[in-house]
Amino acid sequence: MKLKTFRGGIHPPEYKELSLGSPVKSFLPKGDLVFPVNQHIGKPAKPVVAKGDQVLAGQVIAEADGFVSANIVSSCSGRVKAIEERRVASGAKAMCIVIENDGEYTPFEGVGQKHNAGTFSSKDILDAISRAGIVGMGGAGFPTHVKLTSKTPDSIEYIIANGSECEPYITCDDRLMQEKSRGIYEGLRLVLQLFPDAMGVIAIEDNKPEAIKAMEAVCAGEKGVMVQPVMTKYPQGGERNLISVVSGRDLKFGQLPADVGCIVCNVASLYAIYRACYYSEPLMKRYFTVSGDAVANPATFEVPIGTSCAELVEAAGGMKPGVTLKKALSGGPMMGIAMPSLDAPVTKASNALTLLAEDEVETAETQQTACIRCGRCSRVCPIHLIPQMMADAAERKDYEKYEHKLYGLDCIACGSCTYICPAKRPLMQLFKQAKAEIMAAKRK
Amino acid sequence: MNEHQLLNISSSPHVRDGKLTTGKVMLDVILSLMPVTIVGVIRYGFHAFLVILLSVLSAVASEYIFDRITKRPNTITDGSAVVTGLLLALCLPPKAPLYLPILGSVFAIVVVKCLFGGLGKNFLNPALTARCFLLISFGTAMTNYSVDSVSSATPLAAFNAGESVNVMSVFLGGSTGVIGSSALALLLGGLFLLVTGGISWEIPVSCIAVFTLFMGLFGEGGFTPSYLALQICGGGLLMGAFFMATDPVTSPVTSRGHLVYGALVGLIGGLFRVFGSSADSFSYAIIITNMLVPFIDKIPVPKPLGYNNGEYKEREFPKAAVNLTVITLVAGLVLSGIYAMTKSKIEEQELADTLASYQEVCPDAFSFEFDDDLDTAIESLGDDVYDESFGRTYVNTAVVGYDEDGEVVGYVLSVTSSDGYDGDITLSIGLTTDGTVIKLAFTTLTETAGMGMRVDEDAFKGQFEGVNTDAFILNKSGDSTEDNEIDTVSGASTSSGAVVNAVNTALAFFAEYIG
Repeated sequence: MKLKTFRGGIHPPEYKELSLGSPVKSFLPKGDLVFPVNQHIGKPAKPVVAKGDQVLAGQVIAEADGFVSANIVSSCSGRVKAIEERRVASGAKAMCIVIENDGEYTPFEGVGQKHNAGTFSSKDILDAISRAGIVGMGGAGFPTHVKLTSKTPDSIEYIIANGSECEPYITCDDRLMQEKSRGIYEGLRLVLQLFPDAMGVIAIEDNKPEAIKAMEAVCAGEKGVMVQPVMTKYPQGGERNLISVVSGRDLKFGQLPADVGCIVCNVASLYAIYRACYYSEPLMKRYFTVSGDAVANPATFEVPIGTSCAELVEAAGGMKPGVTLKKALSGGPMMGIAMPSLDAPVTKASNALTLLAEDEVETAETQQTACIRCGRCSRVCPIHLIPQMMADAAERKDYEKYEHKLYGLDCIACGSCTYICPAKRPLMQLFKQAKAEIMAAKRK
Repeated sequence: MNEHQLLNISSSPHVRDGKLTTGKVMLDVILSLMPVTIVGVIRYGFHAFLVILLSVLSAVASEYIFDRITKRPNTITDGSAVVTGLLLALCLPPKAPLYLPILGSVFAIVVVKCLFGGLGKNFLNPALTARCFLLISFGTAMTNYSVDSVSSATPLAAFNAGESVNVMSVFLGGSTGVIGSSALALLLGGLFLLVTGGISWEIPVSCIAVFTLFMGLFGEGGFTPSYLALQICGGGLLMGAFFMATDPVTSPVTSRGHLVYGALVGLIGGLFRVFGSSADSFSYAIIITNMLVPFIDKIPVPKPLGYNNGEYKEREFPKAAVNLTVITLVAGLVLSGIYAMTKSKIEEQELADTLASYQEVCPDAFSFEFDDDLDTAIESLGDDVYDESFGRTYVNTAVVGYDEDGEVVGYVLSVTSSDGYDGDITLSIGLTTDGTVIKLAFTTLTETAGMGMRVDEDAFKGQFEGVNTDAFILNKSGDSTEDNEIDTVSGASTSSGAVVNAVNTALAFFAEYIG
């Protein structure tokens, strides 16, 4: 079968093999766990514990504030050490609940209790998801119960399980699909139950043959669910491109996937839905890749949310001998956030820690030349924009042209143009700034 | 690890394609030009190599010096100066005097590129603009394609002069022309750039397609395959379509823009090739189209993903191609219509010109009349060449000039030579009753400006006046001593020879039928 894909995109070196070697190990941290109350899109959760309180693993420590928000659950047992502002991965400060870990991981009452979720009603499923504090685990962090609540469930035709994982280095979804294929499948079934007319499509890049095999094995003979191998190309896992490839429908700026009858869920979120419904297990742990050329033993771990990145680096063997860490990324190198220090926690939506001994941005700055108008940026843009003209308009702050003539707000910030640019121009930075200024002006 | 060590932070993405830099882009262009460079050096020898070397060196040196003088960062490492120097050299005649590549490169880099803001900011192709600058300023040296003192015409010029041209030899690079004229080597390089992503397919494909269509419709050979093959392989089309028009800096950004731009280059190049008098149709076509790029960039950008209800991918290309074909066809029809309408007017004008020229070359005559015997003689010649020793010359008319008293004061013969550098040369030759040349006047002359056209200057045609001889002799070294020796117009020996042959035809005709 011809692999499906989109026009544009790039092929950065994958480096997936670094962390694919060994099966996933469970890592239980010994130090404090830190839970920012804003791990999701929407209103931050409201803390429901006070300093000094004893908490158990699986206990809600901050409650969703309104509908578009999500519960925060402690992933260890111990004592609330502080509720204070701390720096998170981006370097910004956020209100955090700090739990002094007693190392016991004593479970909260009812966590782990089995249910036959196959008999759940739609409301039961959504309640379980909401209680568990599940959010989009591929990076966006949009509350899952909000995404799955639809006034017109009949209009949804595709539930797309996103197993593309197109970012270099990251292998946690690959590993999860290989090891927990049954759970992902059951999670997808639960979502399909909410949308009676929808078909489940599990989209996986063809550089993950083992994951494709594992998912095909659990889907074999099942109706309404299929595995769709897609071409390995960045940003295949981007929502708009994935929807386009799977359903042939295209989204534009301001539209939600549901507007074209699609819902996209990361495979890790589907697995969390499965655990929440069948085992009453809130979102406490996730698969998390620690990789990069600076770390001694790159691997994917199952880690409690709230684990300190610094402690995870130790678990991965620390730095390679003789290597100085230059850059640490929360996420992968294409869309990840550069961390000023390793002193930040793993959150629900962060899937990887990439540790680099070389900063390619620094090198690129020395190679920067004027734009030679070669047009490579347009050829790789997965949204089919003209980044060269957008950069020109953004530099001149001609936002009228940027927004209306060049469709600049449709930019998904994938960074493909910036990756390919031979003149090494900081295109993405210009676009982010232009978008921020335009959106700020709109809010006025 | 030091706890307080600060890590690098930056906005995403955090990786770059390390193998792809501006220098690498330029290196690819240089590599793609290696086949044609090597063929050129092998065919034309050490002097060609010297031209290339000097061109490249002076391009790099002038950029370096400009940067130093203007206190700018040194930009020679981006490799673009090397590309400009190399491209310019490949567009020079193999035996070009060595000041040409130096002067051209300095002009290309300093005037065309650096003064407009350097790499990425120039709006004209530096190498081509420098070539045009040299053509205008040093016309003779720039069009002297002789090698080892054997002068010969370029394949297109030879074809226009009616000679048969071996297309295969043109294709392989065995013919006369600039250093970089091997069509095969140019195609190889172009293919390399296409495969490595250095250029997009739109510009060369639309340029060559539109040009071929245009030549098929309006060229004298029509859709004859060998004619079209010669038009494609000869001249500057391939160099232009693959290496000059594709210069990213001076071409549009979008693929839609590329299609329009390539088509325009092909169209204008075809126009110049068919109707123009200059042998350098594509140099000028590309530079003119360069100037249109800001307008082409105004074409609305294609709608991105999500604005075409999912049919975007299927619809985009055919639509643009259909539009372009329609535009080209309409332009072609309009042009042919204008040609047809103006044709009869042109003929009337030609008749008036002919009469005026009679008066000019035989000023003593009061009236001109046809003579039955002479007409019969001309009719008997038919469409045949008058005498093969004069090349392809034809006697058109012969009239007798009478004064007010009805006395014969002279004869005027109109003779055409088809051996001009660029088509037919027709002239009226006034003779006295004893066969002495009174004066020459051209009625059709479309030779190269500044070169062949100079046969119409008194310095040249004055040499014939008042001379009574059996035949004139063309002196190519320009040191005539005898009355019947004619000094050639420098750099235009083809045109000069055609004129001498035409006059000799008139003298021979006079001797046989009148004198």
